[in-house]
Amino acid sequence: MAADLGYRLTTPAVPQSLDLVHELLESAWAGHPDVAVEDRMRFEIALTEVAGNIMEHAAGGEVLDLTLLVRVLEPRLEARFEDSGPQAGVDLESATLPDDLAESGRGLALARRAVEEVAYWREGATNHWRIVRVRSPR
Amino acid sequence: MTEVQAGERPDVAVLRIEGRLTMVNAPALRASVGEAVEAGRTTVVIDLAACTFMDSSGLGAIVGGLKAARQAGGDLRIARLTPQVRTVLELTNLDRVLRPHDTVEAALDGG
Repeated sequence: MAADLGYRLTTPAVPQSLDLVHELLESAWAGHPDVAVEDRMRFEIALTEVAGNIMEHAAGGEVLDLTLLVRVLEPRLEARFEDSGPQAGVDLESATLPDDLAESGRGLALARRAVEEVAYWREGATNHWRIVRVRSPR
Repeated sequence: MTEVQAGERPDVAVLRIEGRLTMVNAPALRASVGEAVEAGRTTVVIDLAACTFMDSSGLGAIVGGLKAARQAGGDLRIARLTPQVRTVLELTNLDRVLRPHDTVEAALDGG
């Protein structure tokens, strides 16, 4: 697959869809075996946390779809999530780690520490997320 | 998730995680640790050798298990971490709280 076409997934924003996110990444790595293990790992950590955040926010109302596009580029790995759920109301700048014995609340702080960029913005009725991992030099 | 009894010690539970530990199955881990602790097996070892991926929900369930074990006078320890699990632990600074052990036996012996 050509790198610029990317890998795309549209699925209901429910936790059970998380496996599909992992499978999409497995396809991406199979098509790009040159991506370093550390880069794959950190990108997958960030993607999973953002996907989990979307699924948590979508919970409670009607089941909505989320769309994920992953692109493997030469200098970076890039993912874009879109969903039509309620505004996420996240402040990524203030996403810090909670107390050591907290049982939740680490997701976005972990995502930010795993990769170079986690961005969120709202456009019309759509939530957008972008995750960028700058690839390690080969 | 498979539970394995460790030797003759009635106070020990070893829980082996297989595959991914994410928001999907984190509640099951929480429940398994809770059942073990309630049954008096308050020294809990989580064997992560076959855990291919852990997210913050999985980590939260382990922290919950640690608190439950400690409240019952026991402890929870983690063993045989894969590089991915170790990375999540380090990125969240929880390697200070949950010290990784190289083997299940070392986890049982060490604090």
